[in-house]
Amino acid sequence: MEARPLSIQRSGVRQLNNLGVSGAMSSSLVPVFPTPLDETYPKLPDSQQISMEGEVRARPAAHATVVPSNSGAVGHIFSSSSGFSSDLQYSSVILSPYGKHPRNTPFISQSSTNSAALPIPQSSHSNMPQSTTSSRYTKESSSSWCPESLPGFIDFPTNTSLHNSQLESSSCSGVMSSEDFSKRNDWQDWADQLITDDDALATNWNELLDDNNMTDLEPKMAYQVSKTSAIIPVHQPQVQQQLPAPSGEIRNVVTPSSSANSGPAKPRMRWTPELHEAFVEAVNQLGGSERATPKGVLKLMKVEGLTIYHVKSHLQKYRTARYRPDCLEGSLEKRLTPLEEISSLDLKTGIEITEALRLQMEVQKRLHEQLEIQRNLQLRIEEQGRYLQMMFEKQKSGMDKLKASSPNAVNPSTPSSDAIQDFLAKNEQEGSQLDHGKKETDTVGANSALEGSSQELGNNNQKVPETEAPESCEPNVCETSLQPTKRSRTDK
Amino acid sequence: MKFGKRLKQQVQETLPGWRDKFLSYKNLKKLVKLISSTPPLLNGSLEYVKAEAEFVYLLNNEIDKFNAFFIEQEEDFVIKHKELQQRIQRVIAMWGSNGSKPSETEYKDEMAKIRKDIVDFHGEMVLLVNYSNINYTGLAKILKKYDKRTGGLLRLPFIQKVLKQPFFTTELVSKLVKECENTIDSVFPVEENGEGKKERREAITVTGEGVFRNTVAALMTMQEIRSGSSTYGQFSLPPLNLPDSEIVQSVQLNSPIPIV
Repeated sequence: MEARPLSIQRSGVRQLNNLGVSGAMSSSLVPVFPTPLDETYPKLPDSQQISMEGEVRARPAAHATVVPSNSGAVGHIFSSSSGFSSDLQYSSVILSPYGKHPRNTPFISQSSTNSAALPIPQSSHSNMPQSTTSSRYTKESSSSWCPESLPGFIDFPTNTSLHNSQLESSSCSGVMSSEDFSKRNDWQDWADQLITDDDALATNWNELLDDNNMTDLEPKMAYQVSKTSAIIPVHQPQVQQQLPAPSGEIRNVVTPSSSANSGPAKPRMRWTPELHEAFVEAVNQLGGSERATPKGVLKLMKVEGLTIYHVKSHLQKYRTARYRPDCLEGSLEKRLTPLEEISSLDLKTGIEITEALRLQMEVQKRLHEQLEIQRNLQLRIEEQGRYLQMMFEKQKSGMDKLKASSPNAVNPSTPSSDAIQDFLAKNEQEGSQLDHGKKETDTVGANSALEGSSQELGNNNQKVPETEAPESCEPNVCETSLQPTKRSRTDK
Repeated sequence: MKFGKRLKQQVQETLPGWRDKFLSYKNLKKLVKLISSTPPLLNGSLEYVKAEAEFVYLLNNEIDKFNAFFIEQEEDFVIKHKELQQRIQRVIAMWGSNGSKPSETEYKDEMAKIRKDIVDFHGEMVLLVNYSNINYTGLAKILKKYDKRTGGLLRLPFIQKVLKQPFFTTELVSKLVKECENTIDSVFPVEENGEGKKERREAITVTGEGVFRNTVAALMTMQEIRSGSSTYGQFSLPPLNLPDSEIVQSVQLNSPIPIV
């Protein structure tokens, strides 16, 4: 159910906003507040605990005293913000003081120790230097929090004086510790996970684990963790430990998972028919799927890189497939199929059934054909895009060299850039491919190849869109002409 | 939001177990909108880098989701494919004309069952390829949107990576599909004259949640998605060229049976 994190994230933000607003309103205002409030909210002003779908941990409600002075500021903040991250930051700022109302000073003092704890995990971090990460935090906090949120908090009564002073001081540490406070909330951690990359993610969790007051946070966190990240499933057992786990433990788990920019997690095992054949052979040698053990099969197969877990799961699937042939993944649908389809088709004879199957087969074949064609097209389009990109980069470096070498060389380069611009302009129209070859006598190499491949594409399918420069073309060369052409929309 | 709607339709009509394995296109689109709607903070600042990192993180999560699901399905198909072959062999060996217990009725019955299973199996595999394709299309679109709205250069390098992902490298499944088609030809009785065939295909209403329904839905969706683009660019696909379009027209879809 990995799709849910995103939907939850969205609804979480919305609920967040609503919660913040409702938390700011007094009890008298709550009924007035319209539909954005979900049914999941119990009576906010009264209860100390608010649960949002069980994912966000209990959040204390605002005290009535806080409310009136704040509602204006809250309203202001919410009406103005539209950005995702800015929403979260605003909301977190608003919610964090509420988070402290019923809490005693132990919490506050704890958090101040945690703010000291914040740099510590980072210092041992292998990927990110401490200064960078903490500076990122502070930059993020200071740039978006201080200007807008300070006015709102000046109105807070004195029981939030600690928080206030921290904010008003707008010192880096002050802002950071209030950020720590806000991170105590589940949703904030979760949202922060999304905002920051994995490195910061680890530090969040470490802070969580360090904070003994928030022990009930962790199971919820684990619940979120298991849902939000497919890359880091192993964190779940770690987070469920309620003692402050040494930062090294989590760190070791985090680092194997790729940072946000390097791409999806490490490659997975793919079973090919040949591999499966070897598997079946091994199983048969061991006396059948019931008698064979994963270890035995693994030994017999002698395949490099195959682990016992792979074999185990495969064996399980194999067993299921053999003894209950209809019980693989798609079986539920299969069971439904005969009843409904047949009844609607009102079949009586075997021949009619066969005919229906033939029809089904035809449709499926057709779909498959089209999918293959589409896939090939997509591959080619990307290939060409990449090729063009390369050409442009070569062009640019060539022009740079020309410009660098001598001022006289400017002249020869401009015709080619003009030619490129014309090329791009032409591309946007539903043109034939043939014109382009004639335009680009300067960039010879690119053109012959381009022409060839364009024509090839054209032969394969009618109305293949002409390749223009990829959107990521060099700004000083093409952007001026590219922008207007990109914006134009052609009607088909 | 044309693609978004089509995707939603497709997700609704897909096999129940697959519903949450598709791209969260709508959410990603919202994110792009949010990211692009705070321009003063973007472009060169740390905020922008973080926003992009977040976006990439989410995309990677989606890709992982596709990969995991795809590979698992693929594994199931590999197993099932082999099993079907063996099953056919067994039936032929047992009840076929040269078999150990030749029995025409048994043979026919078993073959009928096998035919049904094979056709559905074929359909499921095709649906997986369709799944892969639709998710790829969605990714390409969302990346294009991102670049367009934020002026980023994310699309090209990212899509290169996507092309190499397991969920997009569907060659094995396609190969299995083709092998299935060959097997089916041997399992089906010889076709009668072509004319009778066309007449029999009056409008057939396909209900239920079965594989057939889904392939029809997928085909129609594909047709619609590619029916023409308002933002025609170099990365757009041409309209779908479907020969024998009467095949699709002869099959109508009922509204899906609500799942309780």
